[in-house]
Amino acid sequence: MSTARETRTPALRRGLLNQDLTTREQFEKIAELVLSAAKADHTSVSFNDAHDATTRFANNQVTQNVSTRRSSVTVQSAFGQQVGSYRTTRLDPVGLREAVERAEAIARVSPADPEYLPPLPKQNYLALRTYYESTAGLNPTRAAELLRPVIERCRAQSLVGAGIISYGTSAVGLAASTGLMGFERRTDATFSLTASAEDSSGWALNSHRDADQLKIERLTERAVSKALASKNPREVQAGHHPAILEPAAVAGFTSSLLWSASAKNYEKGNSPYIGKLGTQLLDSRLNIRTDPGQPDLLASSFDQQGLPVKPMLWFDRGVLTQLWYDRFTAKKAGKEPTPFATAVVLESAGPAAPSAEDLIAKTKRGILVTNFWYIRSVNPKDMTMTGMTRDGTFLVEDGQIASGVKNFRFHDSPLRALAAIEAATAPAEAMSTEQGKSLLPALALPDFNFSSVTRF
Amino acid sequence: MSIPRGVSRRAFMRGCAGGAAGVWLAGCGQRTPGRRPDQRAAVEPDMGRWAELSQLVLKRIRSAGAEYGDMRAVTTRTQRVSAQDRRISNVSESFDSGYGIRVLYHGAWGFAASDDFSPAAVEETADLAVEIARASASLVSERVKLAEEPPHVDRVRTHYLFDPFGVPLEEKTGLLLAVCEALHAQPLIARSNASLWAQRDSKMFASTEGSHLEFELLATGGGFSATAASDGAFETRGFNLPYLRTGYEQVRDADLAAAAPRVAAEAVEKLRAPTVTPGKYDLILDAEHLSLTIHESCGHPTELDRALGYEANYAGTSFLTPDKLGTFRYGSPAVSLVANNLLDGGLASTGYDDDGVSCQQWDIIREGIFSGYSTSREVAAQIGQDRSRGSNRADSWSSIPIVRISNVCLQPGNAKLDDLIADMERGLYIEGHGSFSIDQKRYNFQFGGDAFWEIRDGKRAGMLKDVIYTGITPEFWGSCDAVCDRSQWRPFGFITCGKGQPGQSGWMTHAASTARFRNVNVIAGRSAGRDTV
Repeated sequence: MSTARETRTPALRRGLLNQDLTTREQFEKIAELVLSAAKADHTSVSFNDAHDATTRFANNQVTQNVSTRRSSVTVQSAFGQQVGSYRTTRLDPVGLREAVERAEAIARVSPADPEYLPPLPKQNYLALRTYYESTAGLNPTRAAELLRPVIERCRAQSLVGAGIISYGTSAVGLAASTGLMGFERRTDATFSLTASAEDSSGWALNSHRDADQLKIERLTERAVSKALASKNPREVQAGHHPAILEPAAVAGFTSSLLWSASAKNYEKGNSPYIGKLGTQLLDSRLNIRTDPGQPDLLASSFDQQGLPVKPMLWFDRGVLTQLWYDRFTAKKAGKEPTPFATAVVLESAGPAAPSAEDLIAKTKRGILVTNFWYIRSVNPKDMTMTGMTRDGTFLVEDGQIASGVKNFRFHDSPLRALAAIEAATAPAEAMSTEQGKSLLPALALPDFNFSSVTRF
Repeated sequence: MSIPRGVSRRAFMRGCAGGAAGVWLAGCGQRTPGRRPDQRAAVEPDMGRWAELSQLVLKRIRSAGAEYGDMRAVTTRTQRVSAQDRRISNVSESFDSGYGIRVLYHGAWGFAASDDFSPAAVEETADLAVEIARASASLVSERVKLAEEPPHVDRVRTHYLFDPFGVPLEEKTGLLLAVCEALHAQPLIARSNASLWAQRDSKMFASTEGSHLEFELLATGGGFSATAASDGAFETRGFNLPYLRTGYEQVRDADLAAAAPRVAAEAVEKLRAPTVTPGKYDLILDAEHLSLTIHESCGHPTELDRALGYEANYAGTSFLTPDKLGTFRYGSPAVSLVANNLLDGGLASTGYDDDGVSCQQWDIIREGIFSGYSTSREVAAQIGQDRSRGSNRADSWSSIPIVRISNVCLQPGNAKLDDLIADMERGLYIEGHGSFSIDQKRYNFQFGGDAFWEIRDGKRAGMLKDVIYTGITPEFWGSCDAVCDRSQWRPFGFITCGKGQPGQSGWMTHAASTARFRNVNVIAGRSAGRDTV
């Protein structure tokens, strides 16, 4: 048998990543070997072959530069409702058989799980474009070439640059004794820059499956201009202020709206949405949906269980329209299970403001937030979150940016702060270090709780 | 404090730990076989050719012109057993094996890692590490220099009584189901979670400087939680085993099932408890709670790579810049925080770090004054220190080591808990971990907790909920007026400390005694109407 590892080629220099990624045929051989060795009632195979590289810089020079290749197989075995699982990086026939034996040995001594369901049958998946040669063809030399002008731009402005360019390929496969079979090759690339001055900083971040779409030059200008504009920050007193949240800040602040929509929690009594399904929770101009076909987002055609991703509407003009159903809860309720909610789009149901500048121009006095960081749940009952503003926080007065301000901590809930908004722009590419890529608007909010100020 | 010259590490550690060192070091400067047959792990399949492969790699790195290089191979075995709502929801094991090769070439780093142990792939990975370092060198203006460290040849092994991988799975699943049953005996308990976890790392390290290190490291952890729910309200109370480098004995000693009824009752009491009234309170914080406060407000700002800007794009920087070392008042004179990577059972007590630097004990905060950093060889040299503190760690074979918080511990004082409570008019007693967040320089923080009791006129009264305290790090530690004696001193470990790009999970333990803080700002953690915060 020829598995991916046995066919890897030695030359890695042209493109670091695209030389020997596991093919569909190779994955099918691995799956066949596992399934033919299995004695359990049901067996499923989950495969991942990933090659990732990151060039990291700080203080205007490269500080770290890494490449990792890891392939693994997870075998899940079930005798009746008794389930066991084993993951291994040994993908030779001996290692794969050992994984099957160990998963089965675990299953045989495990108590029956009343919520276990056999693997899904064969599914039909959307044909999404998830692999780009532009990303797979990157290598450390090319990454250094991409970073050189970024570092030079920071130096020219007497700023200190820190950030990353990272790029990866993966082959992901699912197979099961029920006939389930999925395989996809994926790429992703990320660029981020924090540009710092003595008392200010600016930041930008983007990920894309296509490295050519990262917009490195534009992101660099954004980070540099924010660092320069936020110098000599003033201290504005903490309290409730009108706020303009840029899309990255919206990403962090609103992520819990979908994560909290578990149907099981709803049913068992520990959900913030109890009694609120089908009711108006957000401003009637806001829709939240997932759109896996959106080419700027990083959707995959199937989730970890093998459910096909699909477009879904979660908030329709501010009304929560559905919950997230795991397979067991769905079966009990006679519903369809919900695939992993990926490729989130938050958009205005009505006419959108032309730009964030337009939101600023219409603000008498408020705080402009580039990004939030260290966002954590404070109270899951009402979805109160906390976090800090970071890398570009400004006072807006009379329709203009008046100055940079010292960073704030906030305590607020998206269910409160987004219940009534002033305005929203059209959605744009948005992510934060804590929240994956989405398409989100900049939002003007009439009242946001900036609960304390820090020293910078 | 550092290891006295001329004293073997083993003898030194026995002296420190009263003969029960958490890491058992089988001799200094020589390899000796493990003495306890029950603790000798079988040689992992990928480690059989270690000597041959590591020599091949080090030779190749040297001949490529690199000034330094090392190879680290790790086989990690993990077992997780989880229960949820009276059922076993997951029993899984994993085997993760591979190696990373790190090269310093013309003052710049390259690192390549692979799970393919064939000699051709190992050579290719070494060449890739050199090629990556060459690419780095094109964008390096200040060359990396490493603080000196003598080469070490040693073998390190976690001391334990019962191998968790040898305990029958039925015992573990039975225990977790019994815990769930005990929790759900309380009628208002709507949800329960319980889990056990163990990890064994077999690690080899060899460097071009002549270090050869072998590790057999073990860690265990676990815990459970209960959520009480009624009329759309819900509250959770937990019980955590401290993640430690020890065996299954900590699970047996803890008697989880016996603790479950109390935890369930407290979840219900918390559900019925009133929300805290915002204001200034004196706080008494227990050891488990303090482990997280120490981690965030002292551990992270004293990572030297952060202070030097290495994490500016992600985890952040630090207000504790090198110009403050030795002079800055971080806390009150009652506050002494010591980094102790020789701590019995501490997760960072691994004998050596992934720079091959031996573990040490030193002052971070001495009687309130900022006194030391956690370092790697690279950043220690940058501030002129002649030796690294040995805090450079990778979370797996596939990761490059980065500076990590050490086992930073709050030293016990002389106070008695009962006396502290008796001496308070209006205060809060807080146990366990809750919501936590801190700014990227580590000044402005907010912490919740797992359980809160009101203290009124010197007595512990009923529970409260939604308690969040906020502050600025040096002001908060400056308000610490008493630390309890060693009777209250307990360790808690973390295995999910996020840092680095690509992200890594750091492991370290923080021990503390219960301590008191005066006049701290407390808010109600709930949706922020204008009247509440």
